[in-house]
Amino acid sequence: MLSYKGTREAFTKALMDLSVDDDRFMLVSPDSLKAMRATPFAEKYPDRYIEVGIAEQNAVAVAAGLASTGLVPFVATYGGFITMRACEQLRTFVAYPHLNVKFIGINSGVFGGEREGVTHQFFEDLGIVRSIPGITVVAPADEHQVYHAVKAIANIDGPVYLRAGSGREHIVYDPETPFELGKIRILKEYGNDAALFANGFIMNRALAAAALLNEQGIKVTLADVHTLKPIDTPGIATILEKCKAAVTVEDHNIIGGLADAIAKISTDHCPAPIGRIGLQDVFPGSGPAEAVLDCYGMGVRDIVAAVQTVMDRKR
Amino acid sequence: MLDTGNVAQLSMTANQLRLDVVRMVHDAKDGHPGPALSAMDIITTLYFRELNIDPSNPQWSDRDRFILSKGHACPALYAALARKGYFSVEEFKGLRGLGCLLQGHPCMKKTPGIDMTSGSLGNGLSIGVGMALAAKYRKKTYTTYVVLGDGEIQEGIVWEAAMCAKKYKLGNLIAFIDHNGWQSGGAVEEVSGLLPILPKWEAFGWHCQTIDGHDFSQIIHAIENAKKTPEPSVIIARTIKGKGLPYMENDNSWHKRVPTDEELAVAVEVLGGNANA
Repeated sequence: MLSYKGTREAFTKALMDLSVDDDRFMLVSPDSLKAMRATPFAEKYPDRYIEVGIAEQNAVAVAAGLASTGLVPFVATYGGFITMRACEQLRTFVAYPHLNVKFIGINSGVFGGEREGVTHQFFEDLGIVRSIPGITVVAPADEHQVYHAVKAIANIDGPVYLRAGSGREHIVYDPETPFELGKIRILKEYGNDAALFANGFIMNRALAAAALLNEQGIKVTLADVHTLKPIDTPGIATILEKCKAAVTVEDHNIIGGLADAIAKISTDHCPAPIGRIGLQDVFPGSGPAEAVLDCYGMGVRDIVAAVQTVMDRKR
Repeated sequence: MLDTGNVAQLSMTANQLRLDVVRMVHDAKDGHPGPALSAMDIITTLYFRELNIDPSNPQWSDRDRFILSKGHACPALYAALARKGYFSVEEFKGLRGLGCLLQGHPCMKKTPGIDMTSGSLGNGLSIGVGMALAAKYRKKTYTTYVVLGDGEIQEGIVWEAAMCAKKYKLGNLIAFIDHNGWQSGGAVEEVSGLLPILPKWEAFGWHCQTIDGHDFSQIIHAIENAKKTPEPSVIIARTIKGKGLPYMENDNSWHKRVPTDEELAVAVEVLGGNANA
């Protein structure tokens, strides 16, 4: 029974389900319990809940200490506070010794931070963690995928960063669709005119663009690249080989995230024109969630136009 | 292998370890001898008297934990680990070399006996908090020891850790501050205005003691006191940077400096050991 609504609730539900039969799982909170919707976990497992206060560096380093003894701590809070405030602790004391700490970063992207503004809009997180050796990086597309992804990352040994949202994420998957760590999932296969590679909570827009393009006679293949690292190079290269043009769609700066990851695979395996939908290396403003995505070039029409552009380029 | 022992034995052991440090840095032509020697008597007491550890089983889950938060002093730790039998003293020759067991700063995945990677300052106490919390959660009786430099406690995360340890009443966490008064850039007080140290820890709710960090009896007694208190405990150990070698003591140029052949020979003479032991 999948009883949750929202990606943060999905995380908590997954953690609680995991914890029933495994007492290694802990939650380290830098005053993020309410933000994570994780109060039920703290109430049910008070001895597995570590509250360090507003101190993200301490949270990550404490988690490293816990993990060094064989426990499996989740550090869950705003993604930028993990990946920027506590970046060094994550890199040097978790990733370098390959400790089994899981990071859940909420408010991901411009969409996740929306009205809060730049201080709470995190669009560099994936690029930061992706550049650190030895850490798995995951950006699921909706609450159901977050639920399954949390369970999946709990089952591997080593550090993981997983993106979650802030409550406005659209549901794009059936609840029972499994999450296969490290493998892309093809969501639509209208044809091979172009490839759409997307991840995260902008997936509804990628789906809408693919459908709109289909109505216009442009047949694309849409793949969910939820695991950014290690990335599914064979799966992506196969699609690139068929389509010979691609557009990446991410709620992240176009530097460091999905766009760069796909461009690398293209360069290495199948050179092709690539369009990049995402934040165009600017600081956004605050605003309603859907409006900020539209305002900063991540609208459905932007995706459609980018596909048309890369198709022109491949000719 | 050197033996656990009384104060006289500890003093002899510390001399051997000091010589190991000087030889390591001399041979590697790189490293931090001054900070290593100031912490040497604390590390010697811990490894050769206090720590409940098993060199034949470095990952023993009930072992006491040790974190050298001032990781640049690692030649001191490497010397102790080798003389306890975690690895051969032959490894000293590889310090900081490619493919070596003994990395430039401690690496828990490469060196047997290292409980936690360290070297970027300020982080060890938080990690020690995590280890101590794990002991409470798992109902284990091990103690977690952390050695910090005095300059190091300028880092904000140290005080985040101090708050957290107090909140969770981590009586199983003992921190030493190697208070030699120097940091890379000069005198600690001039660089940051850190003093006085003790009232700051008192204000954070820690059990506090100040000792002579080169007096084994005081170190031993302070640890005994710390183990009795239900609060996290800090032992502010007044030390001398470069302790044990007259040409090195309180000369901050030895923060990171390579002894010459002649200076190594002096160390052999002063410390009374065998540089090729």
